[in-house]
Amino acid sequence: MTDSSRLWLQRAILLVAILAAWEACARLVSDRWISSPVAIAERLAQWMAGDLWYHMMITGTEIGAGLAIGIPLGVLTGMLLGRSKRMAAVFRPFIVLMNSLPIVALTPLLIMWFGLGMQPKIVLVAFVSFLLMFFNSFSGARAVDEELMDTLALMGASAKERFVKVVVPSCLTWTIAGLKNALPYALIAAVIGEMMLSRNGLGHLITRSAQQFDMTGIYTALFVLMVVGGLINEGTTQLENRLLRWRHLETRGR
Amino acid sequence: MSHLQLIRPEPATGATPARRRKISLDKVAVDFTTRGKTFRAVDDVTIEVPEMQFLALVGPSGCGKSTVLNMVAGLLAPSEGSVTYDGAPVEAANTRVGYMTQKDTLLPWRSVADNIGIAFELRCRKANAAERRERVAEMIDLVGLKGFERHFPAELSGGMRKRAALARMLIYEPETLLLDEPFAALDAQLRILMQQELLRLVERRQMTVILVTHDLEEAVLMADRVMVFTSGPGRIRTERDIPFERPRNAMELRFRPEFSAIHEELWSELKDEFAASVERERRAQ
Ligand SMILES: Nc1ncnc2c1ncn2[C@@H]1O[C@H](COP(=O)(O)OP(=O)(O)OP(=O)(O)O)[C@@H](O)[C@H]1O
Ligand SMILES: [Mg+2]
Repeated sequence: MTDSSRLWLQRAILLVAILAAWEACARLVSDRWISSPVAIAERLAQWMAGDLWYHMMITGTEIGAGLAIGIPLGVLTGMLLGRSKRMAAVFRPFIVLMNSLPIVALTPLLIMWFGLGMQPKIVLVAFVSFLLMFFNSFSGARAVDEELMDTLALMGASAKERFVKVVVPSCLTWTIAGLKNALPYALIAAVIGEMMLSRNGLGHLITRSAQQFDMTGIYTALFVLMVVGGLINEGTTQLENRLLRWRHLETRGR
Repeated sequence: MSHLQLIRPEPATGATPARRRKISLDKVAVDFTTRGKTFRAVDDVTIEVPEMQFLALVGPSGCGKSTVLNMVAGLLAPSEGSVTYDGAPVEAANTRVGYMTQKDTLLPWRSVADNIGIAFELRCRKANAAERRERVAEMIDLVGLKGFERHFPAELSGGMRKRAALARMLIYEPETLLLDEPFAALDAQLRILMQQELLRLVERRQMTVILVTHDLEEAVLMADRVMVFTSGPGRIRTERDIPFERPRNAMELRFRPEFSAIHEELWSELKDEFAASVERERRAQ
């Protein structure tokens, strides 16, 4: 048996053990607070035949639209401000202040501004991802190796060419690190927005179930969120491996 | 016999015409401030390099050789004195020179081939993709990196990275080369080969060169003129013309008696400076 298949076997055993213990507790003691794996599976099947996809689409659209606004804006302003000594100095205290704001605390405010539809969540996701991407790109642009900039300057590269050929790629490590932060955060922001006040989305599934004292519903919604979050994480890791191959070589080699 | 041959220009023997002054440092001094203390790294250095001369700078570690190259490249302004290139003061990055720095500055996210070809991606040296590929292949061949085109810098040895950096600079054939220990990380065999290739290219393209090296033998083999620096603050202790013909055969040259004589003469100057530098470092501890 190969090492990796043994590892997967061990994981499967652990999973089965946890589920069995859970199911046993639910049957022997009470399933009032903890529901049970079987009930959750049944509910999941029921939702999948019903409106789960609709709610997922809503949450997905909010995240997608928010990220589409927040990420490019954050990356670009971060890089540009980071490259200008003066601007960096002027903006620093504001950046620190913004950074210490718990962003999801803005949700009630945004709901008041934008109402109950998708807009407040889109704005929230955009804001969260903008800030996280901005901080990372800003630090990345500050950390660019000046010797590489000089090398290109001596070859006759214009300021724009140096930005494109040195600043952008060397920020990429930071950008990806930012993405690994921003994507899970985007999910959190969207879900919290939905939980506070709305009639659809994955967050709404949780509040709806809670209002009906439906434990199985809550656990099922949490399970769905866990899977979505896991997929997002896996996606960014794949992207990172693809884009930063040189980086892995570097850290491994030294 | 066609009379075209009769009106051929005179071969350039005898007195060579006075060459234009390419690089000049005039009474240059450099002060560095670190940890609140200011010290003089380079003091009263005057260097004139005529067009197409091959100048070598030797001296103990820390005497200011790289600092001199940085000034010629326009990456560092002198604290006193002036640096001019082609008669004009050097004020910004000097795009007329190719500079191979001591630390290799390959872009870590680009493969060897993409690093070497980068100059041709710039607007001022634009070449189309086919031409670029061809030139890159040529250079990779020249520096012996065949088979490593798709490798990233982190996958190369120190010597291979140096060679890639050399190729990246030579590919656009700058009129002047600033070389800071270009062959330091190479084994003896490869070093001789690379020296030979470089000499050939310099000859063919009539380049002006300043070579910084720890290796006195290399300096005498390759250069028209060698300058010995004092251990810090760096001043010029002596300079000597190397009278060997060009183009040179560096392989054969090292076995000539005149070569040993010059080598010995310069070594007697240099070894005092090495001793002084060791002494200085011991006192600093
Ligand atoms: N940016 C800097 N800031 C402060 N001190 C510096 C700086 N660059 C160089 N120095 C100092 O200036 C002196 C000369 O440095 P330089 O790098 O020119 O030496 P070098 O002759 O090239 O030495 P090596 O042969 O070891 O490369 C050294 O004492 C060094 O510590
Ligand atoms: Mg040096």
